[in-house]
Amino acid sequence: MERKRGLGFVGALWRVNLLSAMEYRVPFIMQLGGMMLNNVIYFAFWVLFFDRFEEVQGWTLRDMMLLFAVVASGLGLAMMLFGNCRAIARIVAAGDLDRYLALPRPVLLHVLASRSSVPSMGDFVFGLIWFVLAGDVTAAHALRFLLAVVLSACTFTASLVLANSLVFWLRRSELLADHFLNAMITFSLYPGTLFNGAARVFLFTVVPAGLTGALPVEMLRDFDAATLGWLCAGTAVLAAFALLAFQIGLRRYESGSAIVVRI
Amino acid sequence: MPAPISRRKGEEQVVSIRVHQLTKSFRTRSKQEGLTGSWRALWKPEWRQVPAIRDISFLMERGEALGFIGPNGAGKSTTIKILCGILHPDAGTAEVLGHVPWQDRQQLCYEIGSVFGQRPQLWYHLPPVDSFHVYGAIYGLDRDATRRRVDFLVDVFELQHLLHTPVRKLSLGQRMRCEVAVSLLHAPKLLLLDEPSIGLDIVAKQRIRDTIRYMRDEEGVGVLLTSHDAGDIEALCNRVIVISDGQLIFDDTMDELKRRHLTAKQVNVRYLEEGERSLPMAGVETVAAGRYGMQIRFDPRTVGVDAVISGLHGLGSMVDITISDPDLEDIIGTIYAENALDPDAA
Repeated sequence: MERKRGLGFVGALWRVNLLSAMEYRVPFIMQLGGMMLNNVIYFAFWVLFFDRFEEVQGWTLRDMMLLFAVVASGLGLAMMLFGNCRAIARIVAAGDLDRYLALPRPVLLHVLASRSSVPSMGDFVFGLIWFVLAGDVTAAHALRFLLAVVLSACTFTASLVLANSLVFWLRRSELLADHFLNAMITFSLYPGTLFNGAARVFLFTVVPAGLTGALPVEMLRDFDAATLGWLCAGTAVLAAFALLAFQIGLRRYESGSAIVVRI
Repeated sequence: MPAPISRRKGEEQVVSIRVHQLTKSFRTRSKQEGLTGSWRALWKPEWRQVPAIRDISFLMERGEALGFIGPNGAGKSTTIKILCGILHPDAGTAEVLGHVPWQDRQQLCYEIGSVFGQRPQLWYHLPPVDSFHVYGAIYGLDRDATRRRVDFLVDVFELQHLLHTPVRKLSLGQRMRCEVAVSLLHAPKLLLLDEPSIGLDIVAKQRIRDTIRYMRDEEGVGVLLTSHDAGDIEALCNRVIVISDGQLIFDDTMDELKRRHLTAKQVNVRYLEEGERSLPMAGVETVAAGRYGMQIRFDPRTVGVDAVISGLHGLGSMVDITISDPDLEDIIGTIYAENALDPDAA
């Protein structure tokens, strides 16, 4: 039987994820709309804040809108395409990696693409709307925004894979991985200029939230090749570490006998 | 590492699985019972190595149907997971269709199909037809090839009325038929089945066995089947491996298994008149007795069949009598007993 060895299977997985999510029409629409509403309410705090203070160390309300747009769309894109990046620790702890290892495809890519989060589609759309509302929708600016979103999504995915891969050594690290995601989102949504010195180092290494929010927005505000270079390099290094950690950890995988259905 | 397995000329063409001294253990934390035990284990954990399989060696020929039987925790699933490339062994060597599973997993997976009874492959909220098309893409088949193969499998497995029903609405038996069908989508040379009939009723089990037997006979698919249900093995396999406590304790044909361990005959007899009866003959054991009949067991090597029948005839007017071999379950129980193993130990 003739076989295609390309990455077409990833498209088939995304398609079936969407079909699975749309199987229940009302929850699908409610989750999508609910996440967008949630983001709007969260942003209302910053509207009230900037009503009293015109700027925070050089950041205005428009910059905050761009920040929310990049982070929401970046996180949304990551969770839409690679929704399992936040669930690897759970999958490994339950021994559910077996189903991916028994199939002829790269395990990490197969795991990542096997789930799409519906609420994250709401995040993604929210980010696009917020970008438009922030103004300056020229072709060049939109292209830079798209690049920032893609890089932010790659950083979210890579750092979550890295954090979740700790499960291979710790055996149970689901909560740790959840806290890590929360920390990434929280620190991503603060103006980049608020943090200096050790805090800034922390935000570009241990919890690399600087790469998902502050730096992409700096690139959008004043585009220069050096910022883009740093952003690409940081994302590439994180991705390499994530891949390495998963591959090394995979050798320690011990399977399990829990009964898990495929949703 | 142990020495590589020696091969005879032309062996690659006939051998599908070659396993030599395969060993695997798991590191497990041991803990005393209760809160105190948990508190102590939190600060001073104690670890121990639990052997899952020990020095297992066997060969399986291409197209052969091999049964792997043993109680829970015997090491059946661990062995099959190593052979699929899911787990790495601690020691020993293995080749499946010429591939070392844990080194050449992806290539091997194109040539084998696997079903894990406890780990469904189908998307729960979608009809099986959607899962079939995803697996077609995963195995690199184009849409036409997938459609042709799905049509064929739908006919063989009689899935016409199940194909467009969400999996969550299928019965366990129907779902398992779809699971086995999807594992055959890419026309594998070898099918590895880990407890495919777990939780199924007798009718559903029989349908699964029939379809697997059909694919084995029609497409020449080799079958390695693990089960703790002796009926699966008896229905599908011509050779059986018995494993217990991680060790291989029997490896031969079904006929040889019966010849060596089928040492008893079972007789069920029913009488016309009511009464209390017993057959006090040396070598005859009464298994059950009722008002109108009884069940006895005897070893035909020590007591003649005609003597037993005469004895039973002397107890009254018989209306029915059947003489049968014990179930495979009983034979397996005998093997465990001979090896001083507890079949319930898991």
